[in-house]
Amino acid sequence: MKKILIAENIVKSFGVGSEKRNVLDSVSVEVNEGEFVAVMGPSGSGKTTLIFALSGMDNIDSGKVIFEDRDISTLSEKEMAALRRIKMGFVFQQPTMLKNLNILDNIVLPSMRDNRKKGSKISVNAKTLMGKVGIAELEKRDITQVSGGQLQRAGICRALINSPKIVFGDEPTGSLNSKASQEIIEIFSELNREGITIMFVTHDATVAAQTERILFMIDGKIVSEVHLPKFDGSELEVRIEKVRGEMRKLGI
Amino acid sequence: MYYKLIKNDFQKSKAVTLTTVFFVAAAAMLVSLAMILVINLTGAIDSLMTKAKTPHFMQMHAGELDMERLNIFAEESEFVEEFQVLEFLNLEGSQIILAGSSLAHSLQDNGVATQSKKFDYLLDLDSKIKTAADGELHVPISYMRDGSARVGDRALIGGNEFIVAGFLRDSQMNSTLSSSKRFLVSENDFEDLRSSGSIEYLIEFRLYDLSALGAFEAAYNAEGLESNGPTITYPLFRMINSLSDGMMIAVILLVSILVVLIAFVCIRFTLLAKIEDDYREIGVMKAIGLRLADIKKIYLVKYTAIALIGAAIGYALSFPFKELLLVNIRLFMGESDSAALAPLFGALGVIIVVLAIIIYVNGVLKRFRKISAAEAIRFGMAQEKGITSKRMLISENRLFNPNIFLGVKDVLARKSLYATMLAVLIMSAFIMIVPQNLYNTISSKNFITYMGIGRCDLRIDIQQTDKIAEKTAEVTKKIEKDGDIARYALLTTKTYVVIMDDGATERLKIELGDHSQFPLEYTEGRAPVAEDEVALSAINARELKKVTGDPISLLINGAEKNFTISGVYSDVTNGGKTAKAAFADDTAETMWSIINIELLDDTIVKSKAQEYQDSFGFAKVSAIDEYVLQTFGSTISSVKMAAYAAAAIALFICALVTLLFMKMLVSKDRYSIAVMKAFGYTTPDIRMQFASRSVFVLLVGTVTGTLLANTLGQALAGQAIAYVGASAFSFTINPVLSYLLSPLLMLSFVMIATVAGTAGLGQIKISENIKE
Repeated sequence: MKKILIAENIVKSFGVGSEKRNVLDSVSVEVNEGEFVAVMGPSGSGKTTLIFALSGMDNIDSGKVIFEDRDISTLSEKEMAALRRIKMGFVFQQPTMLKNLNILDNIVLPSMRDNRKKGSKISVNAKTLMGKVGIAELEKRDITQVSGGQLQRAGICRALINSPKIVFGDEPTGSLNSKASQEIIEIFSELNREGITIMFVTHDATVAAQTERILFMIDGKIVSEVHLPKFDGSELEVRIEKVRGEMRKLGI
Repeated sequence: MYYKLIKNDFQKSKAVTLTTVFFVAAAAMLVSLAMILVINLTGAIDSLMTKAKTPHFMQMHAGELDMERLNIFAEESEFVEEFQVLEFLNLEGSQIILAGSSLAHSLQDNGVATQSKKFDYLLDLDSKIKTAADGELHVPISYMRDGSARVGDRALIGGNEFIVAGFLRDSQMNSTLSSSKRFLVSENDFEDLRSSGSIEYLIEFRLYDLSALGAFEAAYNAEGLESNGPTITYPLFRMINSLSDGMMIAVILLVSILVVLIAFVCIRFTLLAKIEDDYREIGVMKAIGLRLADIKKIYLVKYTAIALIGAAIGYALSFPFKELLLVNIRLFMGESDSAALAPLFGALGVIIVVLAIIIYVNGVLKRFRKISAAEAIRFGMAQEKGITSKRMLISENRLFNPNIFLGVKDVLARKSLYATMLAVLIMSAFIMIVPQNLYNTISSKNFITYMGIGRCDLRIDIQQTDKIAEKTAEVTKKIEKDGDIARYALLTTKTYVVIMDDGATERLKIELGDHSQFPLEYTEGRAPVAEDEVALSAINARELKKVTGDPISLLINGAEKNFTISGVYSDVTNGGKTAKAAFADDTAETMWSIINIELLDDTIVKSKAQEYQDSFGFAKVSAIDEYVLQTFGSTISSVKMAAYAAAAIALFICALVTLLFMKMLVSKDRYSIAVMKAFGYTTPDIRMQFASRSVFVLLVGTVTGTLLANTLGQALAGQAIAYVGASAFSFTINPVLSYLLSPLLMLSFVMIATVAGTAGLGQIKISENIKE
C-alpha cells in the first residue's frame, strides 16, 4: 500500500525557558493512501497540533513531514499554499467561513484562485457536492442563515472542491449535536469509500469507531493504536466498545 | 492605577501612540500659529496705522489745486477732524538710482516726499516719525527687502546725491499691491528736486468718526472737488496691508482644521483597533461588574494624556515657527502692541483643540455600550453581521483576478468601515488639488482679466502729465506704423457726473474705447458695444445699486443722456471703482489713457517695451508679464509655496492614514486572513486583496476629491479671490498635473503605505487564529 503521508520524529514546542513544553514530542506516524484515520486524546495532548503540523499549517521545530514523497518543510510558502489548495482539504470544528461571501462563494473560493476561467464548471462541481451532502438548496444563502450542521457540510464541500488526495479534520463534528454529527461522519465514510484519504481529530468514541485506525495521543506522544476493519454499517456497538476499552486502559 | 494602565498601553503600541501625539502636536501648533499670527498681524497693522495716523480718506490729484476751496470744505464739513494736502513729487524711474542701479524698470510710481506735519507719517524701522536731514534719503522698505538698497548706499535722485540713511514704513504704500512708493527727503532737498518731476497732490482727511466715511465721500464728490487721480480710503489701506500675510494665515488656518480632522481620524482608527484588540478584556471587565464609566475613563484618561502632551509640544513648537513667519509682518509693519497677548490667544486655540479631542474620544467610546459581555468573552471579537452583496459573486466572476475581486467586494460589503479612509483620501485629494489649481489660475496669463487688466503683451500708461490727448495721439501714430503690432486698443479715462434716481450726483471715471478688444472677465452681462451702453466695476455697481440692464443717466457736455448697464466686471485697479463705455466724447478732459498692445511675435515684448519707453519718456510702458510679476509676484509665490506644502502634507497624510488603516484592518481581519491561508491563498495573494481595497477606495476618493475640488474648492477659492476684489472666478486647470500627476503620486504613496501596513500579514499564523 502506498504511503501518502509520513511523519518522522516531529517535535513542536510552545513557550520559552523553563515554561517550554513539547506539544509534539518526537511523533512518528505513517498514513496509507485511502486510509481512514482518527486521532484521539485528552485536551492538550497535541492532537490538533499534530493535524496542523501534518497539513503544513503549522511549522515544526524538528523532524520531517513527507507528503507524496516531498518533504513539506523544504517548501516555500507559495509551494505549500499550492499543496494545501490542490492536494489537501481541511474541515475545522468551527465553520471558518468568510462572512461576506455566501455559501456557494465560500465553497468555490479555494478553486477560484487558479481556475476562474473555468468558473462555471467549478460552480457545477460545487453544486454537485452540495447535493451530495444534502445542502443543494442553500447556495445563495448567507452563512448566518443556515444551521451549524449545514455550515459544516458546506465546509466539507469546500474541502473537496479541488478533489484533494487527503482531507484533514480538526474535530469536524465537535460543535454538532449527535444527529448532525452522525450525518457528517457518514459523509466522510462515503468519501473514504470513494478513495479519499481522511484523517481527523475527534473526542467522540462513536465517531472514531467508524474509522479504520485510531491513534491515541497523551502528552505529545502517540501511545497506542487501534485497528478496525473498514466500517460497513454493522457491529457499531462492538467497535465503540473496543475504542472505549482502549480509552479506559489509557485513562482518557 | 490609571498611570500604570496608560504606561502599559503606551509600551504595547508605541508607534501608534506617537503618531497620534504627532498629529495632535501638529494640529495644536498650527492652530496656535494661526492665532498668534492673526493677533500679531491685526495688532501690527493697527499699531502701524495708529502711529502713522493713516488718512481716512485720500484723493490723489494731478493738476491744478484750489487750496482755498478745499480749506473751506474741510472747515465747514462736520466730519473732518484734520485736513492736509501733501505734495508727492513723482519721478521717472530712471531719475532714481540706488547703489548704482536705476529704478527705470520699476512699475511703481516712485517719488519723493517730505515728512508730514499733522498725520500720514512715514515711520522708520523703530516706528518713529523720522525727518530727513539734508542729503539724507529714506527708502521704502520694499526696496530693502528686494535688496535694492542698504543703509549707507549712495543714491542719485534727479541728479542730486544722497546717502541712504534708513528705511521707511509707509502705512499707505507699504504693500507691493499699492502702486506708489514714497521716498523721504528733507524740505530743502525737496525744493531742489521740484523741477525734476511732476507734482501730485495727496489730499488727505482724518475724520472724527470713521463710520461717517461713506457720507463724507459722498459730500466730497458732490462738491466736485479735486479728483484727478485715484481715491483711497482707510479700509482699503487696511486691506492692502493685510493681504499677503492674511492669505498666508488663511492657508495655515485651513490646513490646521484639516490636521485636526486627521488627528480625529487617527484617534478613531487607533481607538477602534484598540477596542478590537481588547474586545475580550472589555467583555471581562464588563462581566466582573466594572461600570461602563470606569472602562471609558481608562481610555479617556489615556487620550487626554495624549492630547495634553501633544498640545504642549505643539504649543512649544509654535514659538520658533512663529518667529519665522512673523519676520515679514515685523519688517513691513513693525511690532504689534498686542504682541504680548498673542501667546495667550495661541494657548486658547490649543485648549480648544484639546477639548475637541476629548469630546471626540468620548463620542467614539460610546460604542462601548454596544459590546455584549457574553459575545466578547465567547468570540473575542465583534460579531459583524455577514453582509453579502447579491450582485458580486465570486462564483460568477470570470473577469477579474479573484484577489482584486475579493478586495473590491470587501470594500463594498463593509462600506462604513472604509468610510473614514475614503473621507481622508477625498480630503487629501482636495487639499492637494485646490491650492494647485489656485496657483495655476493666478499664475495663468488670463488671470489678470479678473483683476481688471486686459490680456495683452504691452501696456502703455499715459498719465500724470499735461496734454494727454496730444501725447496719446503721438503714441498711436507710431503704433499705427509699427509692423510688429498685431492690434491695439486705446482706452481714455474721463470723469463724468452720474445723476442718481433721487437727483443727487456722483462722479464716475469712465474708460472710453473699444472694450471688445482685450476683454475683461464679466461677472454678469458683457462689455459695452453700443453708444448708449456702460459697464460698471463690481464695486461701483454695488455702490450705485445698479445691475445689468438698469438705466443710468450721465451728464455729458452739460446735457443729460441715458445709458443702459451692459455688464459688471471685476476690477482691482484704481481702487476698484471704474466704468467702461464705447461712446466717443471730445468735450471732457482726459485724465489718463491706456494703450493695450498685442504683438505679432511675443518674444520681442521686452525690446518693444524698451523701444517705446525710449521714444516716449512721458509714458509708462510695461510688459504685462513683468507688470503682473511685480504686482502679484509675492502673492503668486506665496500661493505656490502653499500649493507645494499642501501637496506634501496631503501625500503624507494619505500614506500615514493608509498605513494606520491597513494595520487596523490586518488586526481586525486576522481570522479571515488565516482562513484564506488555510485554504491555499498565499501572503502575496492576500496582500493583493488589501492593495486592491486601498486602490479601490483611493479611486473613489480621488475622483470625488477632484470633483469636489473643482466645485466646492472653486467656490472657496473664489471667496479668497473675491477678497482681493475680483468677483467672477473659475479655475484654470492644468490637466496633466491635476488629473494625472497628482492621482499617480497619491496612488504610489498609498501603495507604499499599503505594503508597509500589511507587512504583518506574513506573521499571521493559521494555527494561532483558527485552532480551537
